[in-house]
Amino acid sequence: MGGRGVTLKASPPASPAVGRPDADAGMRPRRRPGRPGAGTLATFIVPGLVLFLLFVLLPVLFAGYVAFFRWNGLGGVPTDFIGFDNFRTLIGDEVFLGDLWRIGIIVVLSIVVQLPIAFGLAMLLHQRFPGRTAFRLLFFMPYILTEAVTAVLFGLIFSPRRGFADSLLAGLGIDAQIGWLSDRSIVLFVVFGILTWKFFGFHMVLFLAGRQNIPDELYEAAAIDGATGAQAFRRITLPLMGPTVRIIVFLSVIGTVQLFDLVYVLTGGGPFHASETLAITMFEQGFQRNQIGYASALSIAMFIVSLVFALIYQRYVLSRDLQGSITTAGGVR
Amino acid sequence: MRKPLKQARALVAASAAGALVLTAAACGDSGESDADITWWHIQNQDPLMATWQEFADDFAEANDVTFDVQPIENEAFKSRMGTAAQSGDVPTIFHTWGGGVLSEQVDAGLVRDISDLDCLDQIDPIALAPYTIDDKLYGMPFDTGVVGFWYNIDLFADAGIDAPPETWDEFLTDIQALKDAGIAPIALAGADQWPGHYYWTYLVMRIVGLEGLEAAAEAGDFSGEGFVQAGELLADLAALEPFQPGFESAGYGEADGQAANMGEGVTAMELMGQWAPQVQRDASGTDGPENLGFFPFPAVEGGAGLGTEWLGGGNGYAVSADAPDEALDFLCYIMEPDNYARAIVDGNFTPVAADVAAVAPDLGPDTQTVIDALATATGTQLYLDQAYPPAIGGVINEATEGLILGQITAEDFVARVNDAWAAEA
Repeated sequence: MGGRGVTLKASPPASPAVGRPDADAGMRPRRRPGRPGAGTLATFIVPGLVLFLLFVLLPVLFAGYVAFFRWNGLGGVPTDFIGFDNFRTLIGDEVFLGDLWRIGIIVVLSIVVQLPIAFGLAMLLHQRFPGRTAFRLLFFMPYILTEAVTAVLFGLIFSPRRGFADSLLAGLGIDAQIGWLSDRSIVLFVVFGILTWKFFGFHMVLFLAGRQNIPDELYEAAAIDGATGAQAFRRITLPLMGPTVRIIVFLSVIGTVQLFDLVYVLTGGGPFHASETLAITMFEQGFQRNQIGYASALSIAMFIVSLVFALIYQRYVLSRDLQGSITTAGGVR
Repeated sequence: MRKPLKQARALVAASAAGALVLTAAACGDSGESDADITWWHIQNQDPLMATWQEFADDFAEANDVTFDVQPIENEAFKSRMGTAAQSGDVPTIFHTWGGGVLSEQVDAGLVRDISDLDCLDQIDPIALAPYTIDDKLYGMPFDTGVVGFWYNIDLFADAGIDAPPETWDEFLTDIQALKDAGIAPIALAGADQWPGHYYWTYLVMRIVGLEGLEAAAEAGDFSGEGFVQAGELLADLAALEPFQPGFESAGYGEADGQAANMGEGVTAMELMGQWAPQVQRDASGTDGPENLGFFPFPAVEGGAGLGTEWLGGGNGYAVSADAPDEALDFLCYIMEPDNYARAIVDGNFTPVAADVAAVAPDLGPDTQTVIDALATATGTQLYLDQAYPPAIGGVINEATEGLILGQITAEDFVARVNDAWAAEA
């Protein structure tokens, strides 16, 4: 394991990324080991490749093309070429800039609130105590719900007249009438709370897996050397959890940039854009206002935001974690 | 000999997989069905939902065609229809409100000209206007009506109001009276945006008149003073906080939404179309307010508009460009007197029949109210978010929400709409 012990993607340096179905299978070697035949390669690669070209690459290229047109998406192909106009509009679009700002807020909140909660719970659930499995299951359950169902559920909870949240507060003697989803100044935080409820279990499980990968011998050795529990946590747990933390932050950011279903069903991005995300703006422009050209420009911007973040993050943060895998992003040789 | 064989087999498998992918991609069909007639409608509540299904079943059996009937909720329908239209593959029969949205679909060659529909003479010609583009008919209406204030007479009485307001000032006074009596005056679905745009549209119509609005739309320029004033008056209204608590995130037809608030009798009025009483009952699960009244949008002092100019529109069906003749026959099957009479009752429609008495001898009082309003109409304007291209209708809806929430000014409103017109030109 390359000396660093804990990596989330278990990738021994010698293992190739593609198509060697029977090389190290441990069964009796029926064929000479080495390069797989062209036919075998084709069998495994072509279907995936065709799907990828047809449903990923082609639409992406088409979106890139359409972004330079004014087009309502109806009938044939776009003809009204307008150069960079869509992108110029985008840079001055308050909703688009607001989307970026809101994504930034959610990312920051995720890192300072949601991930520490998940981390703490993972450490707690790593201990042995009765009912541990039940708790793990319980905490993971919100993640299993689809986003749309989650949104409907919380729509009922935060409903203004008979919502559970207000009833609960009233039961506690607090007659607050909080506009959970209707107050522009708090709706984003309510959305964040729901996101946390939904995703902390997932992150917790990843943290738990990372924690379980740390060999007990290290703690035993530390204990023999006289380290306290706090010292062991700071010197062993935290550093060795690094790769897990870094990959979770990465997933969290990319997930936030693409946030759509939950928010769309819950608030539609409102009131007046207060909880809107990039994907919602794109959807509304494209499919409700028939501004496919502009929506494509927005999708390109979204793609660039994700790509730039991913490249920078891989280059500077994940570089050591990616050693030995094929996507080193030029970070290591 | 083994290896070449394996290779050959692999190649066959690979090309088969590739072919499969291509086939799957090639036959993406909007309705995901191979029925002769795919029908998307928005009557997703019984009894009409079941009635429509029964009509389809009966027609299918008699004419040896197959149906795929899909009831879709209003907002979901708009999204789904949008994507279907962009994919160039629309259902055989689909709901339409006519206007600019239908016009775009017609321009894209998606809609069949049904000017030669057999049963056209049974329909009131006035109801055909929103579906008529360049003198050709592209949709068959089955319901028509107007937007006005539906109000809870008992709640008005509780606030000491014995007659509905006739002018904007009286209206604002009544709002205050209702508030003073502890009643939420107006139910509004802020999240859905379109119910709010009725207010702005009506204010414009009362201030600059129907002609003024039509001229501005023709020119694509809403710069006139009346348009700004309409926004200011709406902002004044919003400043009184007349809407139910949490209206900002409320939907129209959902639990705790605009219609449910009316149905349960907790808000005093809503500005809504002819379908309002039905949805009040459906969304609240009640029989609706005991005494429901209706009054036209109040006049604005010094305005050019008339009280007999209505914002309105109806519901209709369009058929796809490649629709079989049976689809047109089915539309006429719906309009057959016995069937249509039943649909009117089940769906609480306002009839579009040329001879209303023949299909609907005794209409409910709410429907009769709408018919009476239509009878006195000197002009009608289709809902702006349907009358104009979606890019402009969307901006108007969005700007209305911003104005009501105090996020943009009346001047911003007009500037946004003008920008949208300019971009569309």
